[in-house]
Amino acid sequence: MSPRRTDTGGRIDRLKTIRFTFDGVAYTGHAGDTLASALLAKGVTLFGRSFKYHRPRGLLTAGVEEPNALVTVLKGEVREPNIPATMVEIHDGLVAISQNRFPSLAWDIHAANQLGGKILSAGFYYKTFMGPVIGPLKGTRFWMFCEHFIRRAAGLGSAGSAKDPARYERMNAFCDVLVVGSGPAGLMAAKAAADQGARVILADLEPRFGGSANWSDETIDGTPATDWVRRTVAQLEGRDNVRLLPRTTVWGYYDNNTLAALERVSDHKEQPAKGEPRHRYWAIRARSVVLATGAFERPLVFPGNDRPGVMLAHAAERYANEFGVLPGDRIALFTNNDSAYRAAVALKKAGAAVVAIADVRPELSAEMRSLATEAEAEIFAGHAVVATEGGKTLSGIKVQRFDMVTGALTGDARSIHADCLLMSGGWSPTIHLASQAGAKAEWDAARQAFLPPKPTQQWPTQQWIGAGAFTGSFSTVEAIAEGRAAGLAAAGGTGTPAALPIVEAVPGEPDPAPVFEIRAKGKSFVDFQHDVTAEDVRLAHREGFVSVEHLKRYTTLGMATDQGKSSNVPGLAIMAEALGKPIPEVGTTRFRPPFAPVSIGSLAAERFGDLKPERLTPMHDWHVDHGATLYSAGLWYRPMIYGHAGETVEQAYVREARATRESAGIVDVSTLGKIAVQGPDAAAFLDRVYTNMFSTLAVGKARYGLMLREDGFAFDDGTTWRLGEQDFLMTTTTANAGKVMQHLEYFLDVIWPELKVHVTSVTDEWAGAAIGGPKARQILAACVTGTSVDNAALPFMGIVHGEIAGVPVMICRLSFSGEMAFEVYCGAGHGTHVWEALIEAGKPFGLVTYGLEALGTMRIEKGHVTGAEIDGRTTARDLHLDWMLSKKKPFIGSAMMDREGLVASDRLELVGLIALDNRPLNGGSHIVEEIDEANPHGSIGHITACCYSPALGKHIALALVKGGKARHGTRAHVSDPLRSRFGPVEIVSNHFYDPEGTRMHG
Amino acid sequence: MVERQSPLEPEFHVGSHGNFEHGVEILLTETRPGSIVQLAAWPGEEKKLMAAIRTVTGLALPDGAGGGLSDGVKSVFGFAPGKFTVADDAEGLAAAFAKVVTPDIGTVTDLSHGRTAIRIAGPKAEWVLAKFFAIDFALPAFPIGAGRSTAHHDVFAQIQRTGSDQFDIHVFRSFARSFWNALCHASEEVGYEVQ
Repeated sequence: MSPRRTDTGGRIDRLKTIRFTFDGVAYTGHAGDTLASALLAKGVTLFGRSFKYHRPRGLLTAGVEEPNALVTVLKGEVREPNIPATMVEIHDGLVAISQNRFPSLAWDIHAANQLGGKILSAGFYYKTFMGPVIGPLKGTRFWMFCEHFIRRAAGLGSAGSAKDPARYERMNAFCDVLVVGSGPAGLMAAKAAADQGARVILADLEPRFGGSANWSDETIDGTPATDWVRRTVAQLEGRDNVRLLPRTTVWGYYDNNTLAALERVSDHKEQPAKGEPRHRYWAIRARSVVLATGAFERPLVFPGNDRPGVMLAHAAERYANEFGVLPGDRIALFTNNDSAYRAAVALKKAGAAVVAIADVRPELSAEMRSLATEAEAEIFAGHAVVATEGGKTLSGIKVQRFDMVTGALTGDARSIHADCLLMSGGWSPTIHLASQAGAKAEWDAARQAFLPPKPTQQWPTQQWIGAGAFTGSFSTVEAIAEGRAAGLAAAGGTGTPAALPIVEAVPGEPDPAPVFEIRAKGKSFVDFQHDVTAEDVRLAHREGFVSVEHLKRYTTLGMATDQGKSSNVPGLAIMAEALGKPIPEVGTTRFRPPFAPVSIGSLAAERFGDLKPERLTPMHDWHVDHGATLYSAGLWYRPMIYGHAGETVEQAYVREARATRESAGIVDVSTLGKIAVQGPDAAAFLDRVYTNMFSTLAVGKARYGLMLREDGFAFDDGTTWRLGEQDFLMTTTTANAGKVMQHLEYFLDVIWPELKVHVTSVTDEWAGAAIGGPKARQILAACVTGTSVDNAALPFMGIVHGEIAGVPVMICRLSFSGEMAFEVYCGAGHGTHVWEALIEAGKPFGLVTYGLEALGTMRIEKGHVTGAEIDGRTTARDLHLDWMLSKKKPFIGSAMMDREGLVASDRLELVGLIALDNRPLNGGSHIVEEIDEANPHGSIGHITACCYSPALGKHIALALVKGGKARHGTRAHVSDPLRSRFGPVEIVSNHFYDPEGTRMHG
Repeated sequence: MVERQSPLEPEFHVGSHGNFEHGVEILLTETRPGSIVQLAAWPGEEKKLMAAIRTVTGLALPDGAGGGLSDGVKSVFGFAPGKFTVADDAEGLAAAFAKVVTPDIGTVTDLSHGRTAIRIAGPKAEWVLAKFFAIDFALPAFPIGAGRSTAHHDVFAQIQRTGSDQFDIHVFRSFARSFWNALCHASEEVGYEVQ
């Protein structure tokens, strides 16, 4: 008979039936089942196909380390591959499918790969897919050709492409003590630390707290260990200073005791509750950490050890005791240590027949013989399993006399009928997090395992304390004692003598025999997930790979989703034997995060899609309500055009720009960076920051300023307004506001800390509207009170204070459009109010709203520069702004701006272009002297900005061209092969429109 | 005086929202103080500035980083060495400080329009805020009245604890609506009421 549900027992709720499907077949299980336990209870033993050979594979484990039984879980269109069936909690409606098989799990065409035999050994790809030296598939092309087929033939599950609608969140947590793992050691640590008043977080990757107590069948304080767990968890739940995190995998240990954890909040539910995330990424900052992460049981390496029906001994014990599932009816065991005997007794109790125990040790203790007798198992001491029989399920095993010192097999093999083989090759403490934290693992010859180093007490180099099986103390008695001590120490408490819970457990010595492999004929798997055999490891050695790091990369041992949790130590032992060195001399690899796979969604959390921050001006809603087409400029949203029905973008901006030049236009300039520069040294500071002088600026006046970087290149420009003797309002370009702020703070904090200057971002304090055009002053005069706006009161670059519609405003007369223009600033909360008042006042004058396209058009007509020209590669001279370079004072960049390369005559300089074929130009197009469409070459520059100019009635552009002014009046060509735009242009001054500035100055 | 427009307006939906399985555990509102002012002292002049704050607001700041207090109408906290944020239900705070904070003490910057103050209160306030900020919100680590400088979406923000389960978050006005939406979204799982 195959695996089945026991009649009683287990921590499942037998009254609650759950319905789910696997590979399209409907199954039922019980609340508390994993997909693995529920399928096993229904007799399913085939869970997957191996990576390379497509060998049939069953369950090896019952936990997170499962290498074989990887499934894909489907939720609607979304598929999540490579989840261990042992970690999937079943729920109504769960849909899971197997992976890496075609056409079905039972009949997989790629199983033919097994016929490849030794050809498909380690290094197969490297050796086989070297391309020929000539021909169409030479070099890597051959590999690229083969890759398509290889990827179909080998691998794990495939990721989906549907958008994941699930919610993911990030949480920050702080605690005095983080306890990782909730077995007896972890529970005791959490309780001890909590009793000291410490803030404690207890995290466990399983849904049930208790770890091994859930399946050990031991008693604690005279009651089943599970009852002790329930009582202890209830005590912890009742405390304000404890946070319990079940289903939470602590996967990363970073500097300063920052740990990363993934909580699977609603994967086990049919539907998450409203607002509930699927996963929560916890960033936990802990004063100290208790690592009570237990240990992983190791497989033994022998031929046929990967056949479905062969699993780890403790896994079978767990299926029986925790899930009420027998993994087989006739069960054999193969072990090198005592711990498997407890599994034999447990399975016998659960109703299975334990037909044999093969133990590599020739001498067994009386206690083990007694346990074997209790399990009614025949003992084969000094024997090893040398083969398994059957197809996709196990039907029997062969055992043979084995000398554990020499590894020799003698005598005849004996066949034993069994449908399940349990193996135990000893235990490896789960030291991953300690390793991530920098701990160097130490080989313990007795335990035959890498253990974490003993605590050094050298705070803060070691901020964690280990307890229980993590330290190599495999008994529950030791776990409880160490857990309590660790909890106390982590909380900074002192160890007052206290009675510890009394544990009754089956006897057993913790030390295994030093046997990892039985060398017999047939494929013996070391890494089940990546199909790495013992022979692959030896092959790597024969081919010269002596470093464990090289071994890992050549054979891929220890890679993939399970990261070698069950294979690292056996692989290392086999390599050590091949090298003739002891294991500690071969060393081990350093574990890196994550301990287990982490969903990308949880790392991204809420920082995507609709929840990406948007930056809105005070008048944003008005723009939307009045037909503006918005586009993003950095994080800001700005109106591009206010289009009329049926208008193209070009028609809209041409209309807006033309109307502005003919009457008046208004644009939202709230996005300009605004920085308050305040203090007694503010003027002196600005003299150093800008290329031109600001200390001479009168209060109530503004000045256009240019900044250079320290290396002498142009950095940013804008106007700065002197509002008081020690009070300036600096404006920057929208895009550079943050950079300029950092620039100013850097110089104040690091270079000139003696200056009494404070800088504060006030971008959001002010709403700004620029109103320009021949009728702009009339419009202001119609709505501004408290001040005159005539030329005497408000000359060019003058500032006045007044009111519009009852709101205080500050008006500066300056122009970007080239028209008579004014910037009206008011408190941001009054922005829309003032904007609407200006619109109303402008109605009789034909005022139009205009967007960035029209703004750009008018600035190109005027030849003003923006970030397109101040691109980090241009100098003030390149942009014809050398008139702003003061010779009376030093300033940032002045020492470097005259370097030979920055004053060379062949530099690109700002010019204007007019299309002579009356066709639109393209930004980024090259400028060439002679056109050659077939072989574009000879670029002398490029276009930075272009538009159709309503003022000129031509397609024009600004460009950076070698020679600059010297080429004015000459002809060239645009060469844009990507967009097939070639054509003649005339090079002219960048000042296309009103170069004398008569319109602006009025 | 013309009323100030809130940047949250189109997304400010008074009423209960989210998951009410355990009742409403979060209250959200915009406090809309009349004044928000930033004060900054020159090195060595911090005590004088703190005295000026007491003169204007009546609030006696404690020593130490992030110290602060609130009387329900006015509130103040330190957010950087020698720098303080002061809020008042009434307008005119900047003008009042301009009279007492002389140029030799430090500077006064009016941010009444530039910052938006959002209040989150309720038994799950710490839980929801932990989704945004890497700050220890436990009462012993973050006492009532204290302030913290931090960031949401990598954008500077300040938080003052104004009650055992109440926090006032000062964010840039232009980002306020995005932050508000994110805050509402994060509060859905515990149920929230906008007041």
